[in-house]
Amino acid sequence: MYKYDEIDRAVLDARTAEFREQVQARLSGALSEDEFKPLRLMNGVYLQLHAYMLRVAIPYGVLSSEQLRSLAYVARTYDRGYGHFTTRQNIQYNWPALVDIPDALDHLAGVQMHAIQTSGNTIRNTTTDPFAGAAADEIADPRPWCELIRQWSTTHPEFTWLPRKFKIAVTGSPADRAAIGVHDIGLRLVKNDAGETGFEVHVGGGQGRTPIVAKIIRDFLPQRELLAYLTSILRVYNLAGRRDNLYKARIKILVDAMAPDEFRDAVEAEYDASRGRALTLPVEEIERVSSHFAPPAEGEPLTDIPTGTAFARWRAVNVKPHKVKNRAVVVIPLKAPGATPGDASAEQMDLIADLADRYALSEIRVSKEQNLVLPHADKAALGDLFRALDGAGLATPNHGRASDIVACPGLDYCNLANARSIPIAQAISTGLHEAGLDDATGDLTIKISGCINACGHHHVANIGLLGVDKAGEEVYQLTLGGVGDGQAAIGKILGPGLSADDAVTAVIACVRVYAEQAQPQESFTQTLNRLGTDPFKEAVYGA
Amino acid sequence: MALDALRRIEPQAVELPGDAAPADAEAAIKGADRVVIRFPTFKDGRGFSLAALLRRSGYEGELRAAGPLLPDQVDDLLRMGFDAVDIERPDGPARNRNTGGAPYIYQPDPGAVTARPTALQIRALAARKATAEALAKELDGATPEAILCRAAQVYGGRMAMLSSFGAEAALGLALVAEIASDTPILFLDTGMHFPQTLSYRDRLVKHLGLTNLHILKPDEAELRNEDPDNRLYDRDGVACCDLRKVRPLGRALDPFDALITGRKRYHGGQRGDIAAVEFDGERVKINPFAFLSPQDVADRYKALDLPRHPLAEDGYASIGCWPCTAPADEPGSRDGRWAGQDRDECGIFDPARAERAKRAGAIRLI
Repeated sequence: MYKYDEIDRAVLDARTAEFREQVQARLSGALSEDEFKPLRLMNGVYLQLHAYMLRVAIPYGVLSSEQLRSLAYVARTYDRGYGHFTTRQNIQYNWPALVDIPDALDHLAGVQMHAIQTSGNTIRNTTTDPFAGAAADEIADPRPWCELIRQWSTTHPEFTWLPRKFKIAVTGSPADRAAIGVHDIGLRLVKNDAGETGFEVHVGGGQGRTPIVAKIIRDFLPQRELLAYLTSILRVYNLAGRRDNLYKARIKILVDAMAPDEFRDAVEAEYDASRGRALTLPVEEIERVSSHFAPPAEGEPLTDIPTGTAFARWRAVNVKPHKVKNRAVVVIPLKAPGATPGDASAEQMDLIADLADRYALSEIRVSKEQNLVLPHADKAALGDLFRALDGAGLATPNHGRASDIVACPGLDYCNLANARSIPIAQAISTGLHEAGLDDATGDLTIKISGCINACGHHHVANIGLLGVDKAGEEVYQLTLGGVGDGQAAIGKILGPGLSADDAVTAVIACVRVYAEQAQPQESFTQTLNRLGTDPFKEAVYGA
Repeated sequence: MALDALRRIEPQAVELPGDAAPADAEAAIKGADRVVIRFPTFKDGRGFSLAALLRRSGYEGELRAAGPLLPDQVDDLLRMGFDAVDIERPDGPARNRNTGGAPYIYQPDPGAVTARPTALQIRALAARKATAEALAKELDGATPEAILCRAAQVYGGRMAMLSSFGAEAALGLALVAEIASDTPILFLDTGMHFPQTLSYRDRLVKHLGLTNLHILKPDEAELRNEDPDNRLYDRDGVACCDLRKVRPLGRALDPFDALITGRKRYHGGQRGDIAAVEFDGERVKINPFAFLSPQDVADRYKALDLPRHPLAEDGYASIGCWPCTAPADEPGSRDGRWAGQDRDECGIFDPARAERAKRAGAIRLI
């Protein structure tokens, strides 16, 4: 993984020192809350329902064991002993005191981590495939490009005061796994006829109040032109994006209002005018950054195979193929029955860091499904890994299954939320478990958002729940047919809103329809397309 | 003093709202030498992009940011091309009071007049230098074929050859045609070449089957301004080379990180100790013929049966533009170039320039 050089360290140290001054200025009263707000936001500090919330960036979801231990340290020292991994591959702490935050950030800076631009109307943490560099189906490794985007987007002088937040996702696999279709910019690594690697550029996707699938504005962008082209897109958006209405300020609204063809023409014109040597990526820098992401050495074959079905089931569901011989990708779901999706205790983080050191080349990933991943596990150690994870309640065999539920923090923490999402996720996962449905189903996604901002990604869930406030009551809208990875699609509302209890029952009913009526190898969406919505409507709302 | 004379020397000031459309803003500041962009709020980033676009459109006068801006925004505003920022609360908390600001930048300054090197460029140039030095050691005394083959491995796709189509050009072109035939060939058409050079160029291109010839000409507007009578060479030879060679080449070099030259140590002067591969502060020069002797060159011409430049037979050993080229006594010598002037280079290969630029950390040099 990428290691900071002295330049990266100096930039981070300067920023950390600067924010310490800004916090002091706020505490002394020299800065008003109105002035401090955008400064704290672009350093990852939110004011939530009960306290400040600190969101720490995990660049493209990649962590070293040392970094994960530091996240555990921060959880123990400055918070209540746990952290929440988010759908954008970051981690949030819900209870830090403002006065402690500079110290926490200093500690994180010591392991090359920060909270810069995890909030605010800035370019946010770039996300990617959690299996990047390991996946057997990869065309090219997206991580070097994510790192180059990270550096380019960090403290960008022109794009710190955008109309609205801005999110970029990169995938190197045809299977996507980064949901590029619902990002402000989605980049897909592709090869052209000459065998050169470049990017297919998608712009204007997003969820929230107005879910839209991104449009392709360029089929092939030469890789060295990446930053010049991103700069052009951001400049067009910065100048023309709406600033009069918070809900119409994202780039998706601009692309839609201009029409994709005209938006593309504006970007291409700006690109022609601004491209040049200063914005072209030097070959040497691409090589230097890429050299940090060399593929791992081969592992050892698996000989110690634990007996019993538990290991076999875990292996079938949570272990994925690796492109290197005798290595495997191991998913660690933070989704035990009844658990809060994405939460991990300091002890769990420490344990996973130790296991990574012992069996998986000291590397960990965070997935947008709010799970952790050991991307380079040694196959020979799968038995030991299973036993250790199982002992800590971290071997629930439900990766990609119905009970691998994604949920935003919801009304329990977030001051934007209209409804709870975590208790709903807990009830669904418990209910599925009791009904024996959590294991009987194939790949299926259930996602819950506590408000229209859609942090729980419900729009792109096979089965989605959106919590809304109706005259003081929490009401949930059920959507079916959304897809995040690959060919993105926005789910459609099935029928009238449901109470919290009815929503839980309804989701379980939909899973049952799928489990009972799916043909072999059929995904939820395929079943839905084949049967139509009637059987689901009937199961949820009665005949 | 007459009133209209006073008006003329007064600055022409224009104030733009921070949300002005770029096209309107460019029209509004025509003729101005002082522009103020007034930000509606400190959160409205449009003025940042607007400043960069005004600078790119050629505006060189004073550019001032005004409005309810935060002291913490000053550094970024300066990077966008502003000269000054009016802060409404100068006693407010100032960015980096104790830390001195970010020591490195990740992005090129979008609107600044003098570009600082970015972190990416600093690292890339350090790596390029190290690679060039290692290659120079590895290829010391090597044959032209070995040097170019190795260079093509390392710099393929970002390498071009500069050719004067002069007395010794055919050798280099033949080598490129044999080893890396898709390499772009850059020819500086100064408008002052001997007609024999142009006809020789066309003949050689055909003979060797070269397909990627780039003809670089001086900018027409610059020519009209700086050399309206085509006699600049008489008044200021250095300025003439700058106009007709250095600047057109500078513009054309953008996509390339490495240049193949035909330079040889026996040319003498500043070329007496050139290496096979050299770093010039930004790019790499590949000199496949550095170690050949005049006899080697003659032998190669004979072996390859290459056509000779018509003027070479008249005693011209090194051929440039007609006003500054004379016959020389020694074969292979550059004594006939700028005869009677105190120079032996046109400026595109000036080690002193390279040295200065390296020290200054400047990025654009040749």
